[in-house]
Amino acid sequence: MIRQRKDKVSAFVLASPLLLFLSALVVWPIYLGIKTSLSRDLLSEFEITPAGLDNFKAILSTPDFWSALRFTILFAVVATLLEGLLGFLLALVFDRKFPGKRTLFSMVLVPIMIAPSLMAVMYRLILNENIGIIPGFLQKFGWDISIFDQKYVFFTLVCLDAIQYTSFAFLLVYAALQNIPQEIYESAAIDGARYRQVIARITIPILRPALAIIAMLRLIDSFRTFDTIYILTGGGPGTSTQTIGIYIYKTAFITGDFGMASAASVTLVLLLAPLMPWIIKQFRLDVK
Amino acid sequence: MKKQWWATFTAGTFALIFMLPLFGAIYTSLRTDNAIASGPFVWEFDQGFTHYRNAMGAAGYDFESFFKNSIMISTGTVILTTLISLPAAYSIVRLGFGGAWLLRIALGLRILPAVFFIIPFYKLFTNLAIVDSVRGLVLANTFVNLTLALLIFSSAIKDLPYEIEEAAHVDGAGVFRILRSIVFPLMGPGLAAVGVLTFIFSWSDYLFAVVLSSSEATPVTVGAANFVTSYGVRWGDISAAVTLSVLPPLIFATLAQKYLVKGLSSGAIKG
Repeated sequence: MIRQRKDKVSAFVLASPLLLFLSALVVWPIYLGIKTSLSRDLLSEFEITPAGLDNFKAILSTPDFWSALRFTILFAVVATLLEGLLGFLLALVFDRKFPGKRTLFSMVLVPIMIAPSLMAVMYRLILNENIGIIPGFLQKFGWDISIFDQKYVFFTLVCLDAIQYTSFAFLLVYAALQNIPQEIYESAAIDGARYRQVIARITIPILRPALAIIAMLRLIDSFRTFDTIYILTGGGPGTSTQTIGIYIYKTAFITGDFGMASAASVTLVLLLAPLMPWIIKQFRLDVK
Repeated sequence: MKKQWWATFTAGTFALIFMLPLFGAIYTSLRTDNAIASGPFVWEFDQGFTHYRNAMGAAGYDFESFFKNSIMISTGTVILTTLISLPAAYSIVRLGFGGAWLLRIALGLRILPAVFFIIPFYKLFTNLAIVDSVRGLVLANTFVNLTLALLIFSSAIKDLPYEIEEAAHVDGAGVFRILRSIVFPLMGPGLAAVGVLTFIFSWSDYLFAVVLSSSEATPVTVGAANFVTSYGVRWGDISAAVTLSVLPPLIFATLAQKYLVKGLSSGAIKG
């Protein structure tokens, strides 16, 4: 089909809202963010002055920044592994016919539809020491522990994250499983392969690219964890559960140091930037 | 074939754990204050739905306005996201605008942490005087959902048979006419997927809402979280408020579950 000049004009007109939006709410904010990171910009001072790399020097020598980064990475890796594993196992369970499958499928997807912050409020409700169901049960079995105690808090938060996000991993693995042609399994069955062998030799190798994407996406998203932990612990006890998101938010809007907070944001983006080409490649976006 | 009850049992256990928080909230919301205060296993139910009536305004909370704000923000975001990304996806896929690089850039955005944008957005929105307004939060949430919408619409348009559009073109229909009368009516599933996912994700937003709203535009997510800190002991009212806040996206998404599943696994990327 011959493209006419008129088509080029219409193509531009149709894409122009997107271009306008991207310039105003992506390109310009990125510029603002970088500029702020290079300025002395405090809520308590009216004047904003250039500060060179001062904020970056300050942020790199702040222990709280590093401990937040360490916590974020550790949390992201552990949560991703747990959710990936549980999601994969659950997808294998669902990859067959069984009584009640449709209803249970809908029920398993419910956490996707619930806002993490509302989930956090419900967690506070069921985990409350005086009125919560969970501590109530634990006490019945003689376990009188405080689950947000320094000792258990990491484990608790990972489990709560898994309740919210295992569904995502499950759904994506399940969708990928549906794309495996049934004939492969049939011929494996004829050859007398056992279930465990089929999973290890056929399913996992075929799913590997999909699993890599799912893991990478979960990892990136765990890096953004903010709502749940902020509402549950506020980053405490002390600063022991402070994610990088909570650190940036608090530095900007509670301490009132926009310059430092922006420098932390820019540093975070620079750390994640090397992943960008990999992700884009995995999606194999072709226009045709 | 033998019925696989063990699978029912395993899936049921997962489902139960995933829904436990919601069940807990509903359970607490239906009990009397007295029962709540006496311990988690005291069964005494409130006949008059007092907590729900309190949450909806009887006790003087602002919850009703948070609820309205959430509805307006989510609906507004669905509309704006669709208006921006559907024509752009058509332009990219069918008219070859920008090749694949526009999609690549949009995908690259997926990797940038949203927290990077809270300070620039706060500054920009303050300058434009749209802090603490529904309009401002619609813009912020459109930013969050744009990538997923572009990917879903692009793959939906790629799946349409090109011949129909070509025939219309030969008959002298212009690009806009084709988009309006042929592509748009065929986009039902894609629109449903973008609609349901964008609605859920903008209803779920907490980070932008906590930074960009203070009282006028506060949605339920921030409202409910503040509720816990300011009315800490009114657990009955809190659980009624949270249950109500969870319902709209839950009902919408359960009805549109087919599209949610398809959208998430084809666009495959928002989390």
